[in-house]
Amino acid sequence: MLTGLIVGLSAVLLAALAVGMGHVLGWANRRFEVSVDPKVEAAVAALPGANCGGCGFVGCREYAEAVAKGEAKVGLCGPGGQDLARQLADILGVEIEETFPYRAVVHCSAEREQRLRRAPYEGEPTCAAANLVAGVQGCTYGCLGFGDCERACPYDAVRVVNGLSRVDYAKCVGCGACARACPRNIITMVPFKAERMLVVACSNQDSAGDVRAVCMLGCLGCRACTRVAPDLISMEGGLPSINYENYDPTDELLEKVLEKCPRKRMVFVGRPTEKDLAAVAGEELPESIQADFKTTVDDTEWRG
Amino acid sequence: METLSQLIIIFIGAALINNYVLHYFVGICPFLGVSRRVETAVGMGFAVTFVITVAALLNWTLTFFILRPSAPLTQWVWRAAGGSPSHSVDLSVLSYIVFIFVIASSVQFVELYVRKFFPPLYRSFGVYLPLITTNCAILFASLEILKHMQDPLKVWGIGEALMLAVGAGLGFTLAIALMAGIREELDLCDVPAPLKGAGVALIVAGIMAMAFMGFAGVDKGVETALASFLR
Repeated sequence: MLTGLIVGLSAVLLAALAVGMGHVLGWANRRFEVSVDPKVEAAVAALPGANCGGCGFVGCREYAEAVAKGEAKVGLCGPGGQDLARQLADILGVEIEETFPYRAVVHCSAEREQRLRRAPYEGEPTCAAANLVAGVQGCTYGCLGFGDCERACPYDAVRVVNGLSRVDYAKCVGCGACARACPRNIITMVPFKAERMLVVACSNQDSAGDVRAVCMLGCLGCRACTRVAPDLISMEGGLPSINYENYDPTDELLEKVLEKCPRKRMVFVGRPTEKDLAAVAGEELPESIQADFKTTVDDTEWRG
Repeated sequence: METLSQLIIIFIGAALINNYVLHYFVGICPFLGVSRRVETAVGMGFAVTFVITVAALLNWTLTFFILRPSAPLTQWVWRAAGGSPSHSVDLSVLSYIVFIFVIASSVQFVELYVRKFFPPLYRSFGVYLPLITTNCAILFASLEILKHMQDPLKVWGIGEALMLAVGAGLGFTLAIALMAGIREELDLCDVPAPLKGAGVALIVAGIMAMAFMGFAGVDKGVETALASFLR
């Protein structure tokens, strides 16, 4: 009889606990329900969801929360661009300032054989590792060409060709991953006020003689450009720097700057003009394009 | 006065002498998993303290009235069913399932409550709050309370249970915070490659456990000190 009672009591106790706790939790679930701001939900839905971190927040949701609270501006999302800024402004009912999409610019233009005093390097094939070793190449400012930026790019927009990192502006969305990855900080994010932008394609701060010794192309710091456009370009260290706040894409001064530069290190990047396309129209493309097995899963490389 | 000194001794015993992590080796998973940064470690410690207290109080109530041998409720049912008073009904076989049930439910409740009223705390706990459900330190505290309620003549009151739970929780917080502080420094040290990560963390935990063995016998000293102080 004692055993029977214990079994019965056990069953009753467990059933009572289950029902009781179920009720308490059900009540708590309704009583403590957290209402999420519908604006945040709408903003999250509008954002690309790439969680690239280009806006400076951890992910798209954090950015959406900050925007909804008014702590962040609507135009910070690089991948979303101007369209998204307008959409967010509609959702949140705020005014938008005119913003420009940021795009990555590589401030170096020397291909492998144009960079002088190169030494064989057989270490880990990453820029971060090569940057720690002196004497990989003469120029201590320029592109190393091991492709940290290429691996960092989630949009497949950066490619290293012939030892120089290049940006595909048809694919670049301005998340800034490459700029963060570059150990030499030669990739910067530039506000693209037009499809084509004038940029300084060199990062070498040294004096003319030292630059000539290490690079066939590098900027000599001659200041010719600053004399042509003093409002737009100023010298910072040994390099000209373009003040993009004063940049007017329709200005004829830009062509003149290009002409004056003795080393032609002021270049236009972005979408090519009709003339540029016509100039290469005759070139033959290779018949088949080899897959290069680039994977975004890890950065292991096949090294034969 | 006797009870007050007993309460203090239970507290010190749970927090230092029989520190749950370093003496009984329960609650090791959060102790190793969440002890990378002092900030999160302390947060985890207080979350565990809170849950351990709530769960211990609920479980003490259940144990006192239902689960322990010759508990009033079961004994009453037994006598109402016509059984002889000399037999005692013992439902403590149910202790594990009931305790886990209560712990899981109270963690769920706490999570809902914290999410509603303390959103920053909720965000900083993240996934750890639900994980406390499976923290064996909490079950262990309840089981230890049950152990002290087996003898119908010497049953722990709710005060003792509370002291044990709070002491165990604070002891856990102390251990995990110390561990996190050491591991923060360890990040900057030159650890031999095979020992990196979990290996050196376990060695540190072992050395800490040995250090805590130094607290053995403190209870006797505290007892005599309290006896002369309270007299």
